[in-house]
Amino acid sequence: MVEEGAGYDPEWEGGDDGEYVCKYEYLDHTADVQLHSWGEDVKEAFEQCAVGMFGYMTEIDTVEPLDTYETEAEGDDMESLLYQFLDEWLFAFSAEPFFIARDVKIVEFDRENFKIKSVGYGETFDLSKHPQGTEVKAITYSAMQIHEEVDTNDIYVVLDI
Amino acid sequence: MPENRSYNDELNFLDKIDAHTWRIKKGFVPNMKVDGFFYVNDLLEKLMFDELRQHSRAAGFGGFLPAMKQIANVAALPGIVKKSVGLPDVHAGYGFAIGNLAAFDMSNPEAVVSPGGVGFDINCGVRLLRTNLDERDVQPVKDELAQAMFDHIPVGVGSKGVIPMGARDLEEALEMGVDWSLREGYAWAEDKEHCEEYGRMLNADQSAVGSKAKKRGLPQLGTLGAGNHYAEIQVVDEIFDDYASRRMGIDHKGQVVVMIHSGSRGFGHQVATDALVAMEKAMKRDKVLTNDRQLACARISSPEGQEYLKGMACAANFAWVNRSSMTFLSRQAFAKVFNTTPDDLDMQLIYDVSHNIAKMEEHIVDGKQTTLLVHRKGSTRAFPPHHPLIPVDYQLSGQPVLIGGTMGTCSYVLTGTEKGMEQTFGTTCHGAGRAWSRAKSRRNLDYQEVLDRLAEKGISIRVASPKLVMEEAPESYKNVTDVVNTCHAVGISKKAIKLRPIAVIKG
Repeated sequence: MVEEGAGYDPEWEGGDDGEYVCKYEYLDHTADVQLHSWGEDVKEAFEQCAVGMFGYMTEIDTVEPLDTYETEAEGDDMESLLYQFLDEWLFAFSAEPFFIARDVKIVEFDRENFKIKSVGYGETFDLSKHPQGTEVKAITYSAMQIHEEVDTNDIYVVLDI
Repeated sequence: MPENRSYNDELNFLDKIDAHTWRIKKGFVPNMKVDGFFYVNDLLEKLMFDELRQHSRAAGFGGFLPAMKQIANVAALPGIVKKSVGLPDVHAGYGFAIGNLAAFDMSNPEAVVSPGGVGFDINCGVRLLRTNLDERDVQPVKDELAQAMFDHIPVGVGSKGVIPMGARDLEEALEMGVDWSLREGYAWAEDKEHCEEYGRMLNADQSAVGSKAKKRGLPQLGTLGAGNHYAEIQVVDEIFDDYASRRMGIDHKGQVVVMIHSGSRGFGHQVATDALVAMEKAMKRDKVLTNDRQLACARISSPEGQEYLKGMACAANFAWVNRSSMTFLSRQAFAKVFNTTPDDLDMQLIYDVSHNIAKMEEHIVDGKQTTLLVHRKGSTRAFPPHHPLIPVDYQLSGQPVLIGGTMGTCSYVLTGTEKGMEQTFGTTCHGAGRAWSRAKSRRNLDYQEVLDRLAEKGISIRVASPKLVMEEAPESYKNVTDVVNTCHAVGISKKAIKLRPIAVIKG
């Protein structure tokens, strides 16, 4: 049911913060898109998931880390935490400051209380600079998986587009 | 849950009733309170069963539930009445399939409301404007017209509305719907008549909406959106029902019309998201169980249920204000290109329908008039002639139903029927439904080829995101003509007009 999608996977060098890794890809889904991210720990997988979401809305390498923006999210289990984490970033893009992040770093990950504080490095979305990709309407719980039991910490989440 | 039932065993629960109708018997999934039904033709039937076969093979591992299972899961919700229905364009979605209709008895304290049964894009819908222009008037200036529409109407990711609005304006618009647009001068008084709910759900309460939704909504009011949303300049290609068409002001082939397909943008999505989160908590608290986490729901009378309905009404009003704004901008674009006024071009609103909404309606159930909460997700209300809720102009012909086709194919106008009223609570399909994933489309289709094919058909296109061109190509979708013909064959709606696009504006 889930075929391998046209993901790309290079080490991308650039920006003031050094290298950007790309540990995410987009998987096939009939009406929407399934985001697959991974990392050395589940924290990185979460971070890559957020970047992957931004990557769908524009060409991510046109985004420069000129500013920072912080978000906080809280859930009552890992799934709802992931959901809220992504939703907060979607909201940062959809409303003031219309922020699009080149990179996202989690600065606090409270596993017990399911809370995350994260920082995005990016800029305000600018139609004259950033190509229009696909709009992400919402995060969904559909087929959501967070695999902490494997070294790659794979996360799958479907975005409504 | 018997995840690993074999495909052949699954078939024991499925009955073919007639050429177009299948019944899903209780037991297909646990707790079904009523049967499920779906309408198909041969092609659509094959797609449905292929999906089921794949699911049985995968034996419950990952992936998406097939639409047939989703229709059945909905039949297991408390308070559901008569049947859970899949229209011919049904395809898998979140909780409810898209193209899944279900009605709940409001007098039953157990009955629920489910945001998944409405969709994230609350009041995504279609409207159709007529003009007194003919194709030969428009062909010479087609590109100019497409460009004018594209310049006037903000489209695509990150676009912002051009109509000046503050937070206070937004709150008023959320409660007043089209009445706000009228007050501000963006709508004509006649537009209100020709809109479901007269463009305003009266139970809207902006205090039931979170600040996140409002913040997302404010910059997006008056924008088209992206994905499968569009504005199209179309011409009448075929007239099937002369009388009904003339009631709509359509009297000859080649007449030019404008179709706008859009919804409540980030606002509706946030309202739906916020409600799902609240209802999940409530379900844990009240120990409500469903077959699928995505089927988050709440008792209609509960605080969460009521909050959602009020928020949903606000989102519905937002979408009507949005479509009114784009109507205004379209009228301006035409007036500019033809150097006249929208009035002189007779750019009247034929009708505006919603295909993602829950409505409180009266229907006859077991011989008794009952108030039902009808969830129409990816399906359209289609009321018959003489129904009190449809405008005077359409009392004899029936409610117009606008079916948007996929980019560069065709669209349809249908009318509602009595049979539809009995069989599907006055509901019919909404469009084509996707066949290929977006990734598959991008892999298999070439941007330039798609554009060339559209150009060959004489269709001008303006699109904000190049990727979208492949994702939205006709090959990516089921055939809307199949869907519409099936509804016609079943008798739940009647074909009136077929429309062909000559310019497409997309985000």
